[in-house]
Amino acid sequence: MARRNNLAGWVLVSPVVVGLLVFTLYPFLASLALSFCEYDLFPPPRGVGAWNYETMFTRDPLVWKSLTNVLYYTALAVPLGIVMGVGLALLLDAKIKGLAVYRTLFFLPSIVPVVATSVLWIWLLNPQIGLVNTLLRLVGIEGPTWLASVAWSKPSLVFMGVWGVGGSMLIYLAGLKDIPASLYEAAVVDGANAWQRVRYVTLPMLTPVIFFNLVMGMIGAFQYFTQAYVMTQGGPLDSTRFYALHLFFEAFQYLKMGYASAMAWVLFIIVVGVTALLFRSQHRWVHYGR
Amino acid sequence: MSDEEEPTSRRRLLLWLVRGLFIAAAAVGMLWLFLGYEPPEERRWPGREKVVFWHMWTSNWAEVVRRICDRFNDSQDRYEVVPLTVFGGSLKTLIATSGGDPPDCMAQWEAVIPAWAARGALTPLDTLMPAEEWRALRDRMYPAVRDIGMYQDHFYGLSTGMNVWAVYYRPEYFRQTGLDPDKFPETLEELDALSDRLFQYDKDGRITRIGFTPRWLVHYIATFGGSLYDPATRQITFTNPKNVEALEWITSRADRYGFERILQFESGLSTTMAASWPFISGAYAMVLDGQWRVEQLAKYAPELEYRVAPLPPPKGGKPLACWSNGNFTIIPSGARNKAGAWAFMRFWSGVDKPERAAEFYTWGGWLPITPDVAAAPRYQAYCATYPHFRAFLQIMASPNVQVTPPVPVQAYMMSRLTWAEDAALRRHLSPREALEQAARETQRELENMGIGREGNRKEMLNVK
Repeated sequence: MARRNNLAGWVLVSPVVVGLLVFTLYPFLASLALSFCEYDLFPPPRGVGAWNYETMFTRDPLVWKSLTNVLYYTALAVPLGIVMGVGLALLLDAKIKGLAVYRTLFFLPSIVPVVATSVLWIWLLNPQIGLVNTLLRLVGIEGPTWLASVAWSKPSLVFMGVWGVGGSMLIYLAGLKDIPASLYEAAVVDGANAWQRVRYVTLPMLTPVIFFNLVMGMIGAFQYFTQAYVMTQGGPLDSTRFYALHLFFEAFQYLKMGYASAMAWVLFIIVVGVTALLFRSQHRWVHYGR
Repeated sequence: MSDEEEPTSRRRLLLWLVRGLFIAAAAVGMLWLFLGYEPPEERRWPGREKVVFWHMWTSNWAEVVRRICDRFNDSQDRYEVVPLTVFGGSLKTLIATSGGDPPDCMAQWEAVIPAWAARGALTPLDTLMPAEEWRALRDRMYPAVRDIGMYQDHFYGLSTGMNVWAVYYRPEYFRQTGLDPDKFPETLEELDALSDRLFQYDKDGRITRIGFTPRWLVHYIATFGGSLYDPATRQITFTNPKNVEALEWITSRADRYGFERILQFESGLSTTMAASWPFISGAYAMVLDGQWRVEQLAKYAPELEYRVAPLPPPKGGKPLACWSNGNFTIIPSGARNKAGAWAFMRFWSGVDKPERAAEFYTWGGWLPITPDVAAAPRYQAYCATYPHFRAFLQIMASPNVQVTPPVPVQAYMMSRLTWAEDAALRRHLSPREALEQAARETQRELENMGIGREGNRKEMLNVK
């Protein structure tokens, strides 16, 4: 009976198992093998040992440039996203009129497709006729050329990222709902004011959710691609050439599939490394209410 | 096991059997869909040999292509060309070629010939025709048409229409400024002086009309007498003094009017597509653009007064010089029906009968591949309807037209050249330094290709 049930179970999960094996595990392992090959879509791939990895670190300055860009973006966008997400969640947790409307409004941008958001922001940040510079002109400031400026292109993308903070805001809101009311009551009895309640009750109790969003945000930031591809194509002067974008160009413009696979594996190792560091750090600042 | 459980478990078994069969049938169906199924297609002549033709044109252009294919199909009874618009054609063709199922021929406009030919993905067209025919064709073709199809002594792509660039200008602005529109500058220095007079600003100093601002270094290399690659030494020659001179001129012009100001002004303009080309709305008094604008202007701005002149050379530079690219047709190396594909390409390009091809070129507003096509009465009638087109024909025949050098890293080369120009314009590096850095990187990329295949890729790619 048990064996028959097992068989039935396997039959039912087989689409997922086969899908995982064929479409995830196989490409995963194939890309590892390809990273030691030169492969330009014309079979067979030709083994070149560690050449691709050597090239990355010694012969391709754009790898370093793209890594610097991605670190810059991660260091700015992830913390800013957390601060904005938590801040908005705290504001929208208050008992005010029309709360559902506000929550919907702030959440809405995060369900707009990334490409649509990017096109919208190209217009908003247009130096001549864009809304941002038009508003700045009203207060007497001649705004920069944003996406066309080496200095402002990355901050523009960070700025735009904040717009899509609604998704994480929703998770923070759920986290806020999970904090037992008794903790606040105890704090009030102890004479804590509003700020102290946020600082010593809300934030510590929210750290597991913040930790989750930090890890997911960091992974997402390291893979940052679509917006840069649509809006700047890596320019001006490679200032928005992010790692995943560089990888994409190497693979699909210059047909260096082996080299791009090596880049993907290095990115994988970096992301795993940073995630491991975050996990190691969590005992210092993440409170699970135990 | 009790008596009562027996029928239940049998029923269950039966149920699982039915489900299993259902899943198996679904799996077989999906496999059939993925591997074996071929959608029915409309064939007018199912008995003929099929020639699969992929191209990148849509809407009206696709209709022009369809008409040319129909003409070919009606002209003989052996082949049937089946055209298909394919988006993202380059990558799809490569994947189809490496998977062993490429189209028989394909139209392209991306610079793929050297890169694909170096990988053995293309059929040399000169091997599909008798040696005398190839020699005759090579001698008849416009220089740029020949050069764009060549890679290491073989001919891989037959043009179906080239692009060259000339200066479009608005005579009314000349007159408003007290200038004579019949006297277009004969040197680049005169053009600069004219540009200064045609620029317009508002009271806050913002640009409201551009006189002439050069962008895209590649367009000016030829007229300055520079070059990007030396096939004899196999060296990238971005730092050729003439190239440096060209980039210094571009940056000096941008500095004069303010690079940021120009960026700001141009960012507020409409797209450059057809009817919304900012030249029509008066954003530019003079602008360098391609021959396709002539027909667009006739269609979308028939009342607009404009003229076209070849870019004047700088002192010591080359006249009637510009960069050229274009559409061309290629035959992937694994194509099943190469003979049919070549017959179709000859028919379209007028290799055998220029008068017939002249008609096709007028349908698309394309520049032909040989002077015979251009001289055909049909094409001359087209030029009489669109007299501005003559300036482009004049440039097309010039030996000073350059195409992107046939190196297998063309895409990379062009991206680095654009980077160098941007770096110089933004004063990130001097023009010389920017070109030096881009040359170093491109040369390294060329040398990086010299690995792997059959142990010595360097030899195969003929890269030093």
